[in-house]
Amino acid sequence: MKVLEDVEKILLTEIAVDLGRESLDPDEDLLAQRIIDSLGVVRLIVSLEKAFGIEVIDEEVVPENFQSLNSLVEYVEQKMRNK
Amino acid sequence: MDFEFTEEHLAIKKSAIRFAQKALSDGMIERDRDGVFSRELWRKCADFGIQGSAFPQEYGGSDADILSTMLLMEGLGYGCKDSGLIFAINGQMWTVQMPILRFGSDAQKDRYLPKLCSGEWIGAHGMTEPDSGSDAFSLSTTAKLEGDYYVLNGTKTFSTNAPMADVFMVFATVDKRKGFMGVTGFIVEKDFPGFSVGKDIGKMGLRTAPMAELILEDCRVPVENRLGKEGNGAAIFEDAIEWERSCILASLLGGMERQLERCIEYAKERKQFGKPIGKYQSVANKIVDMKVRMETARLILYKVAWMKQAHGKATMEAAIAKLYLSESWIKSCLDAIQIHGGYGYTTEFELERDLRDSVASTLYSGTSEIQRNIIARFLGL
Repeated sequence: MKVLEDVEKILLTEIAVDLGRESLDPDEDLLAQRIIDSLGVVRLIVSLEKAFGIEVIDEEVVPENFQSLNSLVEYVEQKMRNK
Repeated sequence: MDFEFTEEHLAIKKSAIRFAQKALSDGMIERDRDGVFSRELWRKCADFGIQGSAFPQEYGGSDADILSTMLLMEGLGYGCKDSGLIFAINGQMWTVQMPILRFGSDAQKDRYLPKLCSGEWIGAHGMTEPDSGSDAFSLSTTAKLEGDYYVLNGTKTFSTNAPMADVFMVFATVDKRKGFMGVTGFIVEKDFPGFSVGKDIGKMGLRTAPMAELILEDCRVPVENRLGKEGNGAAIFEDAIEWERSCILASLLGGMERQLERCIEYAKERKQFGKPIGKYQSVANKIVDMKVRMETARLILYKVAWMKQAHGKATMEAAIAKLYLSESWIKSCLDAIQIHGGYGYTTEFELERDLRDSVASTLYSGTSEIQRNIIARFLGL
């Protein structure tokens, strides 16, 4: 739960600030909605690495991991388990 | 904090300067005028080890670390007057070779890297399209999976090296709905069915690095030539561009040092109103500014080298370096012409060519405007 809250906070306060929203639907398509764009994803990766102590390798920057809040959370949790 | 280079590092730079001064600069005025790419000079650079410098020995490279590679490029920029050749080599190294090394399968690395490192083959990059430049990931070239092949359709523009290239790193979308995460990389060989190189594109500068369009009309690319996974293209491209921003600038630094020394020498020798023009503050101040910009640029550039070596990533810092070095290089070229007066404007003095070549530096690898956008994002703006 904490991971979901933290990832959502990063998205809303650092990456997609212009949205002016207070929450995200966990299954909302972040790519199609352009909540994450090509410049934002670089910034997002830096924030995720710092917040969760994980390393995001470039081969993992694929839609399956970044499509929605739920897929991001699943990805981060998997990286934390494999640390 | 130790700001000194090791003896070994300095030797690399000196060696590159000697090689470049001896082997690479003859006939430059004519080659620039006629827009001639020299395959002979390309091969000489490969034989010296430039194309393979940052690549593993198993592929014909010399496994140099990033700092050594940057010093090599800096030496090249100092000793070689052919900015187009340096640009062409860097284009291949960072946007074709490096993606294959970092994201390619063993089979892809074995097939392409030895030939590229040795100079036998030439590589070109295909990302920009007529309707997508700075907004690179809004590209329109499509890739549709049909059995054992992807079928690519679209047009790329501003592809450096394209007229003489053997292999191309081409980016296309497998799913436009996924935006930048539909973008996928493909290694396309010149003989693949449906692939052709279009008309040469005339340019203001870097004229010894020909550039052309790429035309893909139902171009059939084997599945095994996809680079990385579907949707991984944006990450691959960003990685390549970060390498390019970091390393291509090292040669500009060498160019700035060359110009500075030349201006100092001229300012001491050229006399007007009875004294060397360097004794006039309006001239001396320009040279001082060239020196300050060069030293600042060096610090930024080598910080990027250190960060990439230590941490792998240096996205904001590479953008800062690209922005600062490219704009400084143009200012240095303008100052060099101004200091030389009317002679600086002539073809013979070769300073006007440096200026024409330099303007591209605020355009390639992302414009200055895009670099500012990147930095702004990292600042939370």
